[in-house]
Amino acid sequence: MKKERANFMVNGKLYEIIIEPRMLLVDVLRERMGLTGTKYACGTGDCGACTVLVDGKPILSCLTLAVTVRDKNILTIEGIADGNTLHPLQQAFIDNGAVQCGFCIPGMVLSAKALLEENPLPTRNEIQAGLAGNLCRCTGYVKVIDAVQAAAETAGKGGKI
Amino acid sequence: MHRVLLPFEFFEPKTIEEAVHLLDTGNAKVMAGGVDLVLKMRLRLISPEYVISLLKVPGLDYIEGNPAGLRLGALATIRQVELSQVVQKNWTILYDAVRQIASVQVKTMGTMVGNLCVATPASDISPALYVLGAKVKIAGVNYEKVIPIENFFVAVGNTILESNEIVTDILIPSLSPGARGAFMKLAKTAEDIAKVNTAVMVTITDNICTEAKIALGSVAPTPIRVTGAEELLTGQKLDGAHIARAAEAAAEAVKPITDIRSSAGYRKEMVSVLVKDALLKATSSGRV
Repeated sequence: MKKERANFMVNGKLYEIIIEPRMLLVDVLRERMGLTGTKYACGTGDCGACTVLVDGKPILSCLTLAVTVRDKNILTIEGIADGNTLHPLQQAFIDNGAVQCGFCIPGMVLSAKALLEENPLPTRNEIQAGLAGNLCRCTGYVKVIDAVQAAAETAGKGGKI
Repeated sequence: MHRVLLPFEFFEPKTIEEAVHLLDTGNAKVMAGGVDLVLKMRLRLISPEYVISLLKVPGLDYIEGNPAGLRLGALATIRQVELSQVVQKNWTILYDAVRQIASVQVKTMGTMVGNLCVATPASDISPALYVLGAKVKIAGVNYEKVIPIENFFVAVGNTILESNEIVTDILIPSLSPGARGAFMKLAKTAEDIAKVNTAVMVTITDNICTEAKIALGSVAPTPIRVTGAEELLTGQKLDGAHIARAAEAAAEAVKPITDIRSSAGYRKEMVSVLVKDALLKATSSGRV
Protein backbone atom coordinates (compact mmCIF):
# COMPACT_ATOMS: atom_id res chain seq x y z
CA MET A 1 0.00 0.00 0.00
CA LYS A 2 1.25 3.46 -0.92
CA LYS A 3 -1.11 6.43 -0.86
CA GLU A 4 -4.70 5.45 -0.43
CA ARG A 5 -8.08 6.78 0.50
CA ALA A 6 -9.02 5.71 4.00
CA ASN A 7 -12.08 6.09 6.18
CA PHE A 8 -11.79 7.11 9.80
CA MET A 9 -14.69 7.28 12.24
CA VAL A 10 -13.70 9.99 14.69
CA ASN A 11 -16.11 11.20 17.37
CA GLY A 12 -18.95 9.62 15.43
CA LYS A 13 -18.11 11.52 12.24
CA LEU A 14 -16.78 9.88 9.08
CA TYR A 15 -13.60 11.36 7.63
CA GLU A 16 -12.35 10.27 4.23
CA ILE A 17 -8.68 11.10 3.92
CA ILE A 18 -5.82 10.23 1.60
CA ILE A 19 -3.07 8.80 3.74
CA GLU A 20 0.34 7.25 3.46
CA PRO A 21 1.28 4.30 5.68
CA ARG A 22 3.96 6.34 7.40
CA MET A 23 1.48 8.87 8.80
CA LEU A 24 0.99 8.82 12.55
CA LEU A 25 -2.49 8.99 14.00
CA VAL A 26 -1.65 12.10 16.05
CA ASP A 27 -0.71 13.99 12.89
CA VAL A 28 -3.76 12.83 10.95
CA LEU A 29 -6.00 13.96 13.81
CA ARG A 30 -4.30 17.31 14.33
CA GLU A 31 -3.28 18.33 10.84
CA ARG A 32 -5.71 16.59 8.50
CA MET A 33 -8.84 16.69 10.64
CA GLY A 34 -8.06 19.86 12.60
CA LEU A 35 -8.64 18.07 15.90
CA THR A 36 -5.87 19.75 17.88
CA GLY A 37 -7.22 18.72 21.29
CA THR A 38 -5.01 15.65 21.04
CA LYS A 39 -1.57 16.81 22.15
CA TYR A 40 1.89 15.82 20.99
CA ALA A 41 4.56 15.96 23.67
CA CYS A 42 7.24 13.34 24.35
CA GLY A 43 6.81 11.31 21.17
CA THR A 44 8.22 8.23 22.90
CA GLY A 45 5.16 6.77 24.61
CA ASP A 46 6.05 8.00 28.08
CA CYS A 47 3.75 10.96 28.71
CA GLY A 48 0.27 9.99 27.49
CA ALA A 49 -0.59 13.50 26.19
CA CYS A 50 -1.51 12.00 22.80
CA THR A 51 -3.92 9.42 24.29
CA VAL A 52 -7.09 8.74 22.32
CA LEU A 53 -9.59 5.91 22.62
CA VAL A 54 -9.81 3.35 19.82
CA ASP A 55 -12.87 1.14 20.21
CA GLY A 56 -13.01 2.39 23.80
CA LYS A 57 -9.42 1.51 24.67
CA PRO A 58 -6.67 4.05 25.40
CA ILE A 59 -3.78 4.11 22.95
CA LEU A 60 -0.91 6.46 22.16
CA SER A 61 -1.61 8.25 18.89
CA CYS A 62 2.04 9.31 18.52
CA LEU A 63 3.13 5.66 18.18
CA THR A 64 0.15 4.50 16.12
CA LEU A 65 0.26 4.30 12.34
CA ALA A 66 -3.00 5.86 11.20
CA VAL A 67 -3.40 3.10 8.62
CA THR A 68 -3.91 0.56 11.42
CA VAL A 69 -7.02 2.28 12.81
CA ARG A 70 -8.97 2.72 9.58
CA ASP A 71 -12.67 1.95 10.06
CA LYS A 72 -12.32 1.86 13.86
CA ASN A 73 -14.16 4.09 16.32
CA ILE A 74 -11.81 6.79 17.49
CA LEU A 75 -12.70 9.13 20.33
CA THR A 76 -10.73 12.32 20.95
CA ILE A 77 -11.30 15.00 23.57
CA GLU A 78 -13.40 16.96 21.05
CA GLY A 79 -15.97 14.19 21.02
CA ILE A 80 -16.46 13.73 24.71
CA ALA A 81 -18.86 16.57 25.59
CA ASP A 82 -22.54 16.34 24.74
CA GLY A 83 -23.02 19.47 22.64
CA ASN A 84 -22.49 22.39 25.02
CA THR A 85 -22.79 20.21 28.11
CA LEU A 86 -19.43 19.14 29.43
CA HIS A 87 -18.78 15.49 30.11
CA PRO A 88 -18.97 14.73 33.88
CA LEU A 89 -15.21 14.09 33.85
CA GLN A 90 -14.53 17.48 32.26
CA GLN A 91 -16.82 19.18 34.77
CA ALA A 92 -15.17 17.32 37.65
CA PHE A 93 -11.70 18.40 36.48
CA ILE A 94 -12.89 22.04 36.55
CA ASP A 95 -14.74 21.70 39.87
CA ASN A 96 -11.72 20.11 41.54
CA GLY A 97 -9.15 22.53 40.14
CA ALA A 98 -7.39 19.60 38.48
CA VAL A 99 -6.14 21.69 35.56
CA GLN A 100 -3.15 23.99 35.47
CA CYS A 101 -1.57 24.46 32.03
CA GLY A 102 -3.99 21.93 30.58
CA PHE A 103 -1.67 20.21 28.14
CA CYS A 104 -1.97 16.77 29.71
CA ILE A 105 -5.69 17.03 30.39
CA PRO A 106 -7.16 15.65 27.14
CA GLY A 107 -5.14 12.47 27.66
CA MET A 108 -5.98 12.35 31.35
CA VAL A 109 -9.71 12.69 30.67
CA LEU A 110 -9.67 9.98 28.00
CA SER A 111 -7.66 7.57 30.17
CA ALA A 112 -10.09 8.26 33.01
CA LYS A 113 -13.05 7.61 30.72
CA ALA A 114 -11.61 4.24 29.68
CA LEU A 115 -10.98 3.43 33.33
CA LEU A 116 -14.50 4.28 34.48
CA GLU A 117 -16.06 2.29 31.69
CA GLU A 118 -14.11 -0.76 32.85
CA ASN A 119 -14.41 -0.06 36.56
CA PRO A 120 -17.23 2.38 37.41
CA LEU A 121 -16.26 2.89 41.07
CA PRO A 122 -12.48 2.64 41.27
CA THR A 123 -10.48 3.06 44.47
CA ARG A 124 -7.84 5.80 44.61
CA ASN A 125 -5.18 3.16 43.97
CA GLU A 126 -7.07 1.93 40.94
CA ILE A 127 -7.36 5.50 39.64
CA GLN A 128 -3.61 5.94 40.09
CA ALA A 129 -2.98 2.72 38.17
CA GLY A 130 -5.44 3.73 35.46
CA LEU A 131 -3.73 7.09 34.96
CA ALA A 132 -0.14 5.87 35.40
CA GLY A 133 0.50 6.38 31.69
CA ASN A 134 -0.39 10.09 31.82
CA LEU A 135 2.15 12.54 33.16
CA CYS A 136 1.39 16.04 34.47
CA ARG A 137 4.34 18.40 34.79
CA CYS A 138 2.65 21.26 36.62
CA THR A 139 0.10 20.61 39.25
CA GLY A 140 0.55 17.02 40.34
CA TYR A 141 -1.95 14.24 40.62
CA VAL A 142 -3.94 14.63 43.83
CA LYS A 143 -6.59 16.91 42.34
CA VAL A 144 -6.74 14.85 39.17
CA ILE A 145 -7.48 11.77 41.23
CA ASP A 146 -10.03 13.75 43.27
CA ALA A 147 -11.70 14.75 39.99
CA VAL A 148 -11.91 11.22 38.66
CA GLN A 149 -13.31 10.01 41.97
CA ALA A 150 -15.90 12.82 41.95
CA ALA A 151 -16.92 11.99 38.38
CA ALA A 152 -17.29 8.31 39.29
CA GLU A 153 -19.53 9.29 42.20
CA THR A 154 -21.63 11.56 39.96
CA ALA A 155 -21.99 8.72 37.50
CA GLY A 156 -22.95 6.39 40.35
CA LYS A 157 -25.84 8.75 41.14
CA GLY A 158 -27.22 8.47 37.63
CA GLY A 159 -24.87 10.70 35.64
CA LYS A 160 -23.33 9.25 32.52
CA ILE A 161 -19.70 8.50 31.76
CA MET B 1 13.59 12.10 17.34
CA HIS B 2 11.81 12.62 14.05
CA ARG B 3 8.17 13.50 13.84
CA VAL B 4 7.87 12.14 10.30
CA LEU B 5 8.71 8.56 9.42
CA LEU B 6 10.68 7.69 6.31
CA PRO B 7 8.44 6.14 3.65
CA PHE B 8 7.80 2.40 3.62
CA GLU B 9 5.37 -0.01 2.07
CA PHE B 10 2.74 -1.46 4.35
CA PHE B 11 1.40 -4.99 4.06
CA GLU B 12 -1.46 -6.62 5.91
CA PRO B 13 -1.23 -10.36 5.33
CA LYS B 14 -4.17 -12.53 6.38
CA THR B 15 -2.14 -15.56 7.46
CA ILE B 16 1.15 -16.21 9.26
CA GLU B 17 2.35 -18.12 6.21
CA GLU B 18 1.80 -15.10 4.01
CA ALA B 19 3.51 -12.91 6.62
CA VAL B 20 6.71 -14.97 6.74
CA HIS B 21 6.87 -15.02 2.94
CA LEU B 22 6.58 -11.24 2.90
CA LEU B 23 9.28 -10.95 5.57
CA ASP B 24 11.50 -13.09 3.38
CA THR B 25 11.52 -10.41 0.67
CA GLY B 26 14.23 -8.23 2.16
CA ASN B 27 14.40 -5.17 4.37
CA ALA B 28 11.14 -5.91 6.15
CA LYS B 29 9.98 -5.70 9.74
CA VAL B 30 7.03 -7.38 11.37
CA MET B 31 4.63 -5.24 13.42
CA ALA B 32 2.10 -6.14 16.09
CA GLY B 33 1.33 -3.35 18.60
CA GLY B 34 3.97 -1.14 17.03
CA VAL B 35 5.06 0.49 20.31
CA ASP B 36 8.72 -0.33 19.86
CA LEU B 37 8.81 -0.54 16.07
CA VAL B 38 7.27 2.88 15.42
CA LEU B 39 9.45 4.45 18.12
CA LYS B 40 12.61 2.98 16.58
CA MET B 41 11.50 4.15 13.16
CA ARG B 42 10.97 7.65 14.54
CA LEU B 43 14.41 7.58 16.09
CA ARG B 44 15.63 6.32 12.68
CA LEU B 45 17.37 3.42 14.40
CA ILE B 46 15.69 1.30 11.75
CA SER B 47 14.18 2.23 8.39
CA PRO B 48 12.47 -0.80 6.90
CA GLU B 49 11.30 -0.70 3.29
CA TYR B 50 8.40 -2.97 4.15
CA VAL B 51 6.35 -3.13 7.32
CA ILE B 52 4.39 -6.35 7.68
CA SER B 53 1.48 -5.90 10.07
CA LEU B 54 0.03 -8.95 11.81
CA LEU B 55 -3.07 -7.05 12.89
CA LYS B 56 -5.23 -8.41 10.06
CA VAL B 57 -4.32 -12.05 10.70
CA PRO B 58 -7.50 -13.30 12.37
CA GLY B 59 -7.55 -15.06 15.73
CA LEU B 60 -4.03 -14.35 16.99
CA ASP B 61 -5.04 -12.61 20.21
CA TYR B 62 -5.93 -15.73 22.19
CA ILE B 63 -5.18 -16.44 25.82
CA GLU B 64 -5.96 -20.12 26.32
CA GLY B 65 -5.51 -21.61 29.76
CA ASN B 66 -6.28 -25.22 30.61
CA PRO B 67 -4.87 -27.86 32.99
CA ALA B 68 -2.03 -28.56 30.55
CA GLY B 69 -0.84 -24.97 30.34
CA LEU B 70 -1.28 -21.47 29.04
CA ARG B 71 -0.97 -20.40 25.43
CA LEU B 72 -0.66 -16.78 24.37
CA GLY B 73 -1.10 -15.81 20.72
CA ALA B 74 1.15 -13.37 18.90
CA LEU B 75 -1.40 -10.56 19.24
CA ALA B 76 -2.39 -11.15 22.88
CA THR B 77 -1.73 -7.80 24.50
CA ILE B 78 -0.09 -7.24 27.86
CA ARG B 79 -3.34 -5.66 29.04
CA GLN B 80 -5.38 -8.73 28.04
CA VAL B 81 -3.04 -10.90 30.10
CA GLU B 82 -3.28 -8.52 33.05
CA LEU B 83 -7.09 -8.66 32.96
CA SER B 84 -7.28 -12.43 32.38
CA GLN B 85 -8.86 -14.23 35.34
CA VAL B 86 -7.20 -17.48 34.25
CA VAL B 87 -3.76 -15.87 34.40
CA GLN B 88 -4.45 -14.13 37.71
CA LYS B 89 -5.60 -17.37 39.30
CA ASN B 90 -3.23 -19.99 37.89
CA TRP B 91 -0.14 -18.08 36.72
CA THR B 92 -0.07 -15.39 39.38
CA ILE B 93 3.64 -14.70 38.95
CA LEU B 94 3.00 -13.69 35.34
CA TYR B 95 0.15 -11.46 36.48
CA ASP B 96 2.45 -9.90 39.11
CA ALA B 97 5.04 -9.19 36.41
CA VAL B 98 2.71 -7.60 33.85
CA ARG B 99 0.85 -5.60 36.48
CA GLN B 100 4.10 -3.74 37.30
CA ILE B 101 4.18 -2.33 33.80
CA ALA B 102 2.56 0.98 34.53
CA SER B 103 1.15 2.64 31.42
CA VAL B 104 -2.28 1.32 30.48
CA GLN B 105 -1.78 2.69 26.98
CA VAL B 106 1.46 0.77 26.45
CA LYS B 107 -0.10 -2.40 27.87
CA THR B 108 -3.13 -1.94 25.61
CA MET B 109 -1.03 -1.55 22.46
CA GLY B 110 1.91 -3.78 23.30
CA THR B 111 1.80 -7.54 22.90
CA MET B 112 3.43 -10.15 25.10
CA VAL B 113 5.29 -11.59 22.11
CA GLY B 114 6.36 -8.10 21.06
CA ASN B 115 7.83 -7.48 24.50
CA LEU B 116 9.97 -10.61 24.09
CA CYS B 117 11.03 -9.81 20.54
CA VAL B 118 12.22 -6.34 21.59
CA ALA B 119 14.68 -8.26 23.77
CA THR B 120 15.28 -5.58 26.34
CA PRO B 121 17.22 -6.99 29.31
CA ALA B 122 14.87 -4.97 31.54
CA SER B 123 11.70 -6.79 30.43
CA ASP B 124 9.50 -7.55 33.43
CA ILE B 125 7.86 -10.37 31.53
CA SER B 126 10.97 -12.39 30.63
CA PRO B 127 12.16 -13.33 34.16
CA ALA B 128 8.66 -14.57 35.00
CA LEU B 129 8.64 -16.67 31.83
CA TYR B 130 12.11 -18.04 32.67
CA VAL B 131 11.00 -19.47 36.00
CA LEU B 132 7.72 -20.67 34.53
CA GLY B 133 9.67 -22.74 32.00
CA ALA B 134 7.99 -21.06 29.03
CA LYS B 135 8.70 -21.81 25.39
CA VAL B 136 8.17 -19.78 22.25
CA LYS B 137 6.80 -21.17 19.01
CA ILE B 138 8.43 -19.74 15.91
CA ALA B 139 7.15 -19.86 12.34
CA GLY B 140 9.43 -19.55 9.33
CA VAL B 141 9.01 -20.26 5.62
CA ASN B 142 7.54 -23.79 5.59
CA TYR B 143 8.55 -24.76 9.13
CA GLU B 144 7.72 -24.28 12.77
CA LYS B 145 9.87 -24.82 15.83
CA VAL B 146 9.57 -24.54 19.58
CA ILE B 147 12.40 -23.03 21.64
CA PRO B 148 12.78 -22.68 25.41
CA ILE B 149 12.60 -19.00 26.36
CA GLU B 150 16.06 -19.23 27.91
CA ASN B 151 17.53 -19.97 24.47
CA PHE B 152 15.65 -17.12 22.80
CA PHE B 153 17.69 -14.06 23.77
CA VAL B 154 21.16 -13.44 22.36
CA ALA B 155 22.10 -9.90 23.36
CA VAL B 156 20.55 -6.51 24.06
CA GLY B 157 17.87 -6.06 21.40
CA ASN B 158 18.80 -9.33 19.74
CA THR B 159 17.13 -12.73 19.67
CA ILE B 160 17.73 -15.96 17.76
CA LEU B 161 14.95 -14.97 15.35
CA GLU B 162 15.95 -14.76 11.72
CA SER B 163 14.61 -11.76 9.83
CA ASN B 164 12.01 -14.00 8.15
CA GLU B 165 10.73 -15.67 11.32
CA ILE B 166 7.78 -14.76 13.54
CA VAL B 167 7.01 -15.80 17.10
CA THR B 168 3.45 -17.10 16.95
CA ASP B 169 2.89 -18.35 20.51
CA ILE B 170 4.19 -18.27 24.04
CA LEU B 171 3.65 -21.67 25.68
CA ILE B 172 3.65 -21.83 29.46
CA PRO B 173 3.30 -25.13 31.31
CA SER B 174 1.09 -25.63 34.33
CA LEU B 175 2.86 -25.67 37.63
CA SER B 176 3.45 -28.64 39.81
CA PRO B 177 1.58 -28.70 43.11
CA GLY B 178 3.81 -27.13 45.73
CA ALA B 179 5.31 -24.61 43.29
CA ARG B 180 5.35 -21.10 44.66
CA GLY B 181 6.65 -18.03 42.95
CA ALA B 182 7.12 -14.31 43.31
CA PHE B 183 8.10 -11.39 41.08
CA MET B 184 9.79 -8.24 42.33
CA LYS B 185 11.05 -5.12 40.65
CA LEU B 186 13.05 -2.10 41.70
CA ALA B 187 12.71 1.10 39.67
CA LYS B 188 13.02 4.84 40.22
CA THR B 189 9.30 5.38 39.81
CA ALA B 190 6.49 2.91 39.31
CA GLU B 191 6.36 3.56 35.57
CA ASP B 192 10.11 3.50 34.95
CA ILE B 193 12.10 0.59 33.55
CA ALA B 194 13.57 -1.77 36.15
CA LYS B 195 16.99 -1.14 37.70
CA VAL B 196 16.78 -4.79 38.72
CA ASN B 197 13.93 -7.28 38.60
CA THR B 198 13.64 -10.86 39.67
CA ALA B 199 11.30 -13.81 39.45
CA VAL B 200 11.71 -16.82 41.71
CA MET B 201 9.94 -20.17 41.79
CA VAL B 202 10.44 -22.81 44.42
CA THR B 203 8.78 -26.21 44.63
CA ILE B 204 8.36 -27.41 48.17
CA THR B 205 7.51 -31.00 49.12
CA ASP B 206 7.35 -32.00 52.78
CA ASN B 207 9.01 -28.74 53.77
CA ILE B 208 12.00 -29.44 51.52
CA CYS B 209 12.77 -27.44 48.38
CA THR B 210 12.89 -29.93 45.51
CA GLU B 211 13.40 -27.34 42.75
CA ALA B 212 14.43 -23.69 42.76
CA LYS B 213 14.59 -21.21 39.91
CA ILE B 214 15.83 -17.64 40.19
CA ALA B 215 15.78 -15.35 37.14
CA LEU B 216 17.06 -11.80 37.01
CA GLY B 217 16.55 -8.90 34.61
CA SER B 218 18.54 -5.69 33.98
CA VAL B 219 21.82 -7.16 35.26
CA ALA B 220 23.16 -8.70 32.02
CA PRO B 221 22.66 -8.27 28.24
CA THR B 222 19.79 -10.79 28.47
CA PRO B 223 17.66 -12.03 31.35
CA ILE B 224 19.61 -14.71 33.24
CA ARG B 225 19.18 -17.60 35.67
CA VAL B 226 21.53 -17.78 38.64
CA THR B 227 21.97 -21.53 38.91
CA GLY B 228 24.63 -21.38 41.63
CA ALA B 229 22.19 -19.65 43.94
CA GLU B 230 19.44 -22.09 42.96
CA GLU B 231 21.61 -25.07 43.90
CA LEU B 232 22.05 -23.67 47.40
CA LEU B 233 18.30 -24.01 47.88
CA THR B 234 17.63 -27.42 46.33
CA GLY B 235 17.28 -30.16 48.92
CA GLN B 236 17.13 -27.67 51.77
CA LYS B 237 14.52 -26.42 54.15
CA LEU B 238 13.92 -22.83 53.04
CA ASP B 239 14.66 -21.00 56.26
CA GLY B 240 16.03 -17.49 56.60
CA ALA B 241 19.66 -18.61 56.61
CA HIS B 242 19.43 -20.60 53.38
CA ILE B 243 17.49 -17.84 51.69
CA ALA B 244 20.06 -15.23 52.76
CA ARG B 245 22.91 -17.39 51.47
CA ALA B 246 21.21 -17.90 48.09
CA ALA B 247 20.53 -14.16 47.82
CA GLU B 248 24.21 -13.42 48.47
CA ALA B 249 25.26 -16.00 45.90
CA ALA B 250 22.92 -14.44 43.32
CA ALA B 251 24.49 -11.01 43.91
CA GLU B 252 28.00 -12.46 43.61
CA ALA B 253 27.14 -14.21 40.36
CA VAL B 254 25.97 -11.13 38.43
CA LYS B 255 28.12 -8.60 36.58
CA PRO B 256 25.77 -5.67 35.93
CA ILE B 257 26.74 -2.44 34.19
CA THR B 258 26.49 1.18 35.29
CA ASP B 259 24.05 3.21 33.21
CA ILE B 260 21.59 6.08 33.54
CA ARG B 261 19.30 4.06 35.83
CA SER B 262 21.77 2.65 38.31
CA SER B 263 25.37 1.91 39.14
CA ALA B 264 26.80 -1.59 38.85
CA GLY B 265 27.51 -1.74 42.58
CA TYR B 266 23.99 -0.69 43.55
CA ARG B 267 22.48 -3.20 41.15
CA LYS B 268 24.57 -5.97 42.71
CA GLU B 269 23.46 -4.98 46.21
CA MET B 270 19.85 -4.85 45.12
CA VAL B 271 20.02 -8.31 43.54
CA SER B 272 20.66 -9.71 46.98
CA VAL B 273 17.83 -7.66 48.53
CA LEU B 274 15.28 -8.47 45.83
CA VAL B 275 16.13 -12.17 45.63
CA LYS B 276 15.85 -12.46 49.41
CA ASP B 277 12.54 -10.60 49.52
CA ALA B 278 11.15 -12.57 46.58
CA LEU B 279 12.12 -15.92 48.15
CA LEU B 280 10.57 -14.88 51.45
CA LYS B 281 7.43 -13.76 49.67
CA ALA B 282 7.23 -16.98 47.68
CA THR B 283 7.77 -19.25 50.67
CA SER B 284 5.30 -17.38 52.86
CA SER B 285 2.51 -16.75 50.36
CA GLY B 286 1.82 -20.20 49.04
CA ARG B 287 0.80 -18.58 45.78
CA VAL B 288 2.04 -19.38 42.35
